[in-house]
Amino acid sequence: MNSSPPTASSLKGVVLNIQHFSTHDGPGMRTTVFLKGCSLRCKWCSNPESIYPNPELAYNLSRCIGKDECGFCLPKCRESALFNVDSDAKVRINWDLCTNCGECASVCPPQALYLFGREMTVDEVLDEVEKDSGFYRESGGGMTLSGGECQLQADFAAGLLAGAHKRGINTAIETASNVPWRFMEKILPHVDIVLHDIKLTDPERHKKWTGVDNTRVRENLQRAYDSFPDKTFIARTPLIPGVNDDEEHLRATLAFIKPYKNVVDYELLPYMRFGESKYGFLGRIYEMQDFDPPTPETLARLRSIIDEAFGRSGNRTQI
Amino acid sequence: MKEQTKRIAINCGGGYVPGLNAVITGVVLAADQLKREVVGIRDGFDGLLFPERYPNGGLLKLTPHVVENLSAGTGALLGNATRTDPFHVRQVTEENLVEEMDLSGDLLAKIAAEKIEAVISIVGPRALSILFKLHKQGLRTVCVPTSVENDVAATQLSFGFNSALSFAVDMLERVRQAAQSARKIGVVEVLGEHAGWLALQAGIAVCADAVLIPEIPYDIQKVAVKLREKADSGRTSGLVVVAEGALPQGGQRPAADGAMTESLKASLSPGATGQGGSHVIEGAGRAAQVVAHHLQRLTDQMTYPLVLGPLIRGGSPTAVDRQLGLGYGAAAVRALNENQSGVVVAFQPPDLKFVPLAEAINKVRTVPDDSVFVQIARSLGIALGNEVRP
Repeated sequence: MNSSPPTASSLKGVVLNIQHFSTHDGPGMRTTVFLKGCSLRCKWCSNPESIYPNPELAYNLSRCIGKDECGFCLPKCRESALFNVDSDAKVRINWDLCTNCGECASVCPPQALYLFGREMTVDEVLDEVEKDSGFYRESGGGMTLSGGECQLQADFAAGLLAGAHKRGINTAIETASNVPWRFMEKILPHVDIVLHDIKLTDPERHKKWTGVDNTRVRENLQRAYDSFPDKTFIARTPLIPGVNDDEEHLRATLAFIKPYKNVVDYELLPYMRFGESKYGFLGRIYEMQDFDPPTPETLARLRSIIDEAFGRSGNRTQI
Repeated sequence: MKEQTKRIAINCGGGYVPGLNAVITGVVLAADQLKREVVGIRDGFDGLLFPERYPNGGLLKLTPHVVENLSAGTGALLGNATRTDPFHVRQVTEENLVEEMDLSGDLLAKIAAEKIEAVISIVGPRALSILFKLHKQGLRTVCVPTSVENDVAATQLSFGFNSALSFAVDMLERVRQAAQSARKIGVVEVLGEHAGWLALQAGIAVCADAVLIPEIPYDIQKVAVKLREKADSGRTSGLVVVAEGALPQGGQRPAADGAMTESLKASLSPGATGQGGSHVIEGAGRAAQVVAHHLQRLTDQMTYPLVLGPLIRGGSPTAVDRQLGLGYGAAAVRALNENQSGVVVAFQPPDLKFVPLAEAINKVRTVPDDSVFVQIARSLGIALGNEVRP
C-alpha cells in the first residue's frame, strides 16, 4: 500500500461506548470512553462485551417480536446463523456460525439484535467528549479511557489522549497494564492520571484467575512509575471474595506501590454481579455465578489497612 | 473416484451420554471388518491440537481388543471437548496477551500429517455447527448426533434417549410413591429446553397428572383444576412433569420470588436491560420451582419441586441404546466406505440414512400438535395445560 499514514484526527478505533457524567473513573465529572479489546480473561469480568477487539453481535431474546410479526432478520443472515424452532416464534442464534457482520442488527426494529462496538475516528470521539467540557471545568473532571484494555489500541488511544490535551481536556486511563511496554510509551506522555489495576500479586493466582501471570504487569508498572515521575498513579483492586479479598494481597500491593511517591492512593472496587446477563446476550457462559459481592465489614477492614498505610485517619467515603 | 479411507479418527464433542461407548465400539468393529485402522482423538480435537498435554499422546489407537468390553461401560474413554472450539482457541501470545485464535487451519494440517483421512465425530447440536465449518474447509467427516432430549431434527431416535427415558420413569415412580405417602404434589423437572419428548413420554409412562412441555404453553389454572378435582375425589397426592423449557401462556415465566432486585436492574447498562429482569440467565430448576410455587397457591396442597437435570445423562445404556449406538457407529463407517462426507447419520426407521450437515444444523425436532404422544396423553386424562373444558 502506498497511501500515507492517517493523521491522528482521522485514526480509527473500535469504541464500545461513550459514557457521560461518570463519577467513578477519576476525579470530578468525567466522560468515559470504553475501547474494545482486552488482553486478560478475568473470570469475574463484568464487561464481557469489551473483551474481543472487533464489533460483535448481542441478542436480547426477551425483546424479539418473533418471526410471525417481524422476522426481517432471517433473510439478512448469509451464514444461516439465525433460525427458528417450531415451539417458539422468537428468533434463535447459532453463535458458531455468526460472523458478527451486523446485517441482522440493522433491520431489527426492537433492537433485540444489536452490535457491541463501532468504528469511530479520533475526532468523532473527541467531538462527543467535548460536549461535556462545561462540566469538566466545574468539577475538575475530564476524559477517561477505559475498556477492555484501552492501551491495546495504542495509536488510537494516544491520538485520543493527545487530542484531548489539545482541546484542554484533562485525561485519565483505566488500565490493567498487561500490554507491551512500547504501547505504554506511546500513551503515558498524554495521560494526567493513571488508574491501574493490581488484581493479584501472586503470579500463579494471577494466571489462574486472569489467564496470564503478572510478570509483565509488575515490570510495566515499575517502569511507568520510574519513567513518569510527574504523573499521578492510583492503584486499584477489583475486590473479589475468595480471590483477592485477603490481607496478604492487600499488604503485598501496598509494599509494591509505597516506595513510589507518584502512586498517591490505593482504591478497592467491590465486585458486583452486573455483567451476568450480558454473557447470555453474547452466547457465552458466566463462570462466577456463585460469587457474591464482598461484605461491608470486609471492605471496611481492608480499607482501614490502606488508610493506615497512607497515613489517613479513616472514616473516609469511597466508592 | 476418490481414494478409499485408510485411517479413521473418532472423537467426542459432548459429554457422556448412555450409548456413547457403543458408538465407539460400532465404529471400531465395523472399520476392522474393512481392514481400516481407527484412532481416537482425546478431548475433541485437543489431542491433535495440543498433544503435549497428554503423557501418552493425544491419539489412542482403538482396536477390537481395546473396545472389547466398552459398549456397556459408562466411562469417557476419549474425553470430550464441550468447551473447545478450534475456531476460537484461547492462547497466550509471545507478548503475554490472551487472545482467541482460529486454529482450524492448523488442525486440518495436523489431521493430514497424521494420515487421518476422515473423522467420525459424536457431537451435540453445537459441535455439529463446528464440524460443518470444518467440512466447508475441507475436512472429511461423518457426524453421529447426540441428544438425550431426542431433539435432533434429522433423526427419529437419538442414542441415549431411551436410557434417559428409562431413568426418568424410574425416578418419577419413586417421586409418586413419596408424594402419595406425604400427600403432596411432586413437580419434577426433566431436560428439554426446546422439545418435550422426554417429559411427555416419561409422563405418559407413569400416568402423571400433568405434563408441561415447551411446545404447549400452559395455563397453570388448568393444571390446578385437574389436581383439585383429583383431591376432591379423595386422591390427595399428585405428580407433575415439567420440561425445563416449558413456559406459561403469554411467554414470560412468572417470578417464583423477588427475582432481580431493583438496584441490580437499575445498574445494568442500557443495552442489557430487558423486560422484568427476564434476561438474567436462569439455572436449571427454575421451571419446576415456578410451577410448584403456583400450584401450591392454587390447590392448597403442599408441593415440592425436584430437578432430575443432568442426572439423566449418566448411567449404563439400555439394550435399545446399545443396539442403536452400535448401529450408528457401524453406519458412520459405511458412510465413509461409500465416499460420503459432510453428513450426519440419521435413524429414519427402518433405515439408518445419511443427511447433509447443512440440512441438519439449526433444526430442532419438537413435539407436533398432532403427535401420537399428545393424543395418548389426552386420552389418558393427563393435563397438558391447554385443555378446553366442556
